[in-house]
Amino acid sequence: MIAIVRTKTIEDLGNIGRFGRFVWQAMLTSLRSCASGRTYPLIWNQMNIIGVRSVPVIMITGAFVGMTLAVQAYDQLAGMGLEEHLGSLINISVVKELGPVLAAVMLAGRIGGALTAELGTMNVTEQIDAVRSMGTDPVRYLVAPRILACLLLTPALIIFADFTGVMGGALVSFFQLGINSRAYWDFSASSVELWDVSIGVVKGFFFGGAIASISCYKGFNCREGAQGVGQACTEAFVASFISILALDFALAVISKAVYATFWPIRSLV
Amino acid sequence: MTEGIENNGKQVSDGIIVIKNLTRQFGKKVVLDSISLAIEKGKTTVVIGPSGCGKTVLIKHFIGLLRPTSGEVYFKDQRIDNLSDRELNRIRTHFGFLFQGGALFDSLTVAENIMFPIKQHHKITNWHEVQDVVKTKLTMVGLDGYQNYYPANLSGGQRKRVALARAIAMNPEVILYDEPTTGLDPIRADVINELILKLQRELGETTVVVTHDMKSAYKIADRIVMLHNGKIIADGDPDHIRNHPHPIVQQFINGQISPDDLAVLRMSSDISQTQFFPRDFE
Repeated sequence: MIAIVRTKTIEDLGNIGRFGRFVWQAMLTSLRSCASGRTYPLIWNQMNIIGVRSVPVIMITGAFVGMTLAVQAYDQLAGMGLEEHLGSLINISVVKELGPVLAAVMLAGRIGGALTAELGTMNVTEQIDAVRSMGTDPVRYLVAPRILACLLLTPALIIFADFTGVMGGALVSFFQLGINSRAYWDFSASSVELWDVSIGVVKGFFFGGAIASISCYKGFNCREGAQGVGQACTEAFVASFISILALDFALAVISKAVYATFWPIRSLV
Repeated sequence: MTEGIENNGKQVSDGIIVIKNLTRQFGKKVVLDSISLAIEKGKTTVVIGPSGCGKTVLIKHFIGLLRPTSGEVYFKDQRIDNLSDRELNRIRTHFGFLFQGGALFDSLTVAENIMFPIKQHHKITNWHEVQDVVKTKLTMVGLDGYQNYYPANLSGGQRKRVALARAIAMNPEVILYDEPTTGLDPIRADVINELILKLQRELGETTVVVTHDMKSAYKIADRIVMLHNGKIIADGDPDHIRNHPHPIVQQFINGQISPDDLAVLRMSSDISQTQFFPRDFE
C-alpha cells in the first residue's frame, strides 16, 4: 500500500514537473514567436479556428446564462420588493463570474478537446517526430500559435459572452418578468463598474492560457492508439475545468484584495 | 573526435554517423545493449532484425529523436547526443527521415508537405522556385500532378512516395528509411526499392534503411547489419549475410520459425482443450 502511494506520488510529481517545464518552454517560445513574422500566419489560422468559429457557441452560452439568472433571481428579489435591482445582480454576475467561467468551460470542451485530439493524433502518427526530424521545433510550430491564439481570443470571446448574457437577462426581465427597463438599467449602471468588466476579461486571459497549455501538453504526451487519444482528451478537459475553477477562485481573491485597497467601501444594492 | 570503431572485427574509420556503446532502456527493458556502429558515407546500410528488436529506436538516435541511456552518437565527428534541441535542429537539416507510416501532415496538401522543410529554413522570396522544387521532387517519386491532393486521398504507397519526396526536399546528406516497404504489395514495395536505388544513384547520399523485408534488403544494401536482442549479431555485405553461420541469422533471412517457438506452438495446441465455436452459442 505504502509502495503504491509512493509510486503514485513520484509519478504525479514527475508529471507536474514535466508540465511546468512544458509550459515554461511554451511561454518562452510564444514570446519569441511574437517577434517573428513567420509565425503570424500560423497564429492567424489558429485564431480563426479557435476564436472566430467559437463565437456562436459562446454567444449562446452567455445568453442562456443571463436568461436563467433572471428567471432564478426574480423570486428572491421580488419577495423583498427589490425586483428592480435584478439588473444589478444579473449583470454583475454575468460580467464578473458566470460569463467568463462558463464561456471558458465551453471553450475547454470545444477547443481543448480539439487541440488535444489533433496534437495527440499527430503524436501517435509520428507527425510531431516528423516536424522535429526536419529541424523544426514542434513547440514553436504547433504549440506557440495555439497558446497565443487562446491567450488573445479568450478575453475577446468573454466580451461576446458578457454582451449576450446582459442582453439575454435584460430581455427576459423586460418581456417575461415585466420589470421597468429604465429602473433595470439605472440600477445596473450604478452597480456594475468598469473594474468588474475588466476583471472578467482579465480572467479570460488566464483561462485561455490554462486551456491551451493543458490541452497541448496532454496532446503531446498522449499514449498510443485511439484509447490513448480519447483518454488524453478526457484528462485535458477535466484538468482544464478544474484549473478554470481554481484560477477563478484565486483571481477572485486577488481582485477583491486589490479592489479593497483602492475602493474600500462598496455596496451591491 | 571519433576514432575508427570496430564492427565484427572490421575497422571503419570514415563513418559519417558513428555510435559508441549505445545503450537505450525503456523502463527496465533494455532495447539496445551497448551497440557500436559506424555508417559509411555514400553507402546504403540496411539494418535488419525481427519486429521489436530496436531497429527504429537505433535510427531515431541518429538524429536525436531519442537520447541514449548511455553511450555516444556522432555525426561528422561532432558529438550530437548531448546537444540542446536548438543545436540538434541545425544538425537535423542534414537528414531526411522517411517514417514507417509516412507521417505526412494531414492538414496540408502534398505540395505544402514537401514545401514544409523549405519554408521552415529559408526565407522564400520566389515562390515559383519553390513550386519548381516541389515539382522536381514529385517527378522523382513519380507523383507529379498530385500537388493539390491531401494525404487522406492517397494510397499507402503514394503516401510513402510523397513522404520520400518530403524527406529529400532539402537535398539531405543522409536519408533514413524506417520500414519503407512495410504494408505495401510486392509491386509497390519494389517501386520503393527502385526509388531508393535511384535516389542513391542520383543524389549520392548516405542511406540507412531499417527493414525486415529480406528481398528489399538484398536489392538495395551495400552492407547489412542484423540486430537481435539489442545486439549486433551480423554485419557485412549481402553475400556475407546470406552465408552467415549464425543460426538466428539463417532463420531470419530464410523466414523460418525457431525450433523452440515451434515446440511452444505445438505444446499450446495440445494443452488447449477448451474451444469456442459459433455453433455453441446457437
